[in-house]
Amino acid sequence: MANHSSKKSKTDDSNNGPSLFSKALIPEYKWQDKDEFLDVIYWMRQILGLLLGIVWGIIPMKGFIGLALFLLVNVAIVYIYYNSFQKVDEEEYGGTSEILKEGLMTSFSSFLVAWIILYSALHSE
Amino acid sequence: MLADCILIVFISICTAFLGEGLTWVMVYRTEKYKKLKAEVEKQSKKLEKQRETETNDRVQKKKLERQEEKLKNNSRDLSLVKMKSMFAIGFAFTALLSMFNSIFDGRVVANLPFVPISFIQGISHRNLPGEDYTHCSFIFLYILCTMSIRQNIQKLLGLAPSRAASKQGTGFFSPPTQLGR
Repeated sequence: MANHSSKKSKTDDSNNGPSLFSKALIPEYKWQDKDEFLDVIYWMRQILGLLLGIVWGIIPMKGFIGLALFLLVNVAIVYIYYNSFQKVDEEEYGGTSEILKEGLMTSFSSFLVAWIILYSALHSE
Repeated sequence: MLADCILIVFISICTAFLGEGLTWVMVYRTEKYKKLKAEVEKQSKKLEKQRETETNDRVQKKKLERQEEKLKNNSRDLSLVKMKSMFAIGFAFTALLSMFNSIFDGRVVANLPFVPISFIQGISHRNLPGEDYTHCSFIFLYILCTMSIRQNIQKLLGLAPSRAASKQGTGFFSPPTQLGR
């Protein structure tokens, strides 16, 4: 799972130049700049939101279970990434909730857009 | 339906760039903004560091308080600078939005894969005929697109407010009366 999520950050960090994206792939990397790590989480989330939205739209997932499942998967992957793969001390970033909240709303809206568009394009009459 | 959706995504990309562009012209490129922003960022980082090393020293605490006060004033100034352009952009966008609203009036642009909760239905089913609440109106999709696209564009262009600064603004020490937010 941790590997899985690191792949995500690989694609997404290409936005920020190669340095950040290679850092994101190194397990237990020592982050000098807190913002860099949070940026990795942010972009990872955006890609994840978009991907999940596309998958949910193709399956097609329906109802509130889709929303709940998205939140669960999204939070779980981020949690596993920073807790098991990067092993950062969450207290340095203001607690678990700060990391888990990073970019969540934006990711959620990207997810909804992807889900709604694909769902209505593929599965509605 | 798909064409409408793609058009809406395109519209929100355009408006996001337009909004950022206007803000850049009116705010980001001004000397005052740059100076204030650098100041706020520097101070909030400094404060954060200082708070980590706890001291019982009275003089130190006083000093810390004074710095917090200064930071608060600076961030208030910063948001005042931003405020003006916010208003201008707000007006421009309301006009644009009402135009798009009339173009998409009564048109179902997408089918939602879920039934929204009642207070969202007011937006997601705005100006649509019928009782099928999985029908999605223009405005709902537009808002969602804007929420995701605008923030990502800000982030990509490096225009989003820094974390340290925004954390200081909403920090536990700032009194609720603060105008700065």
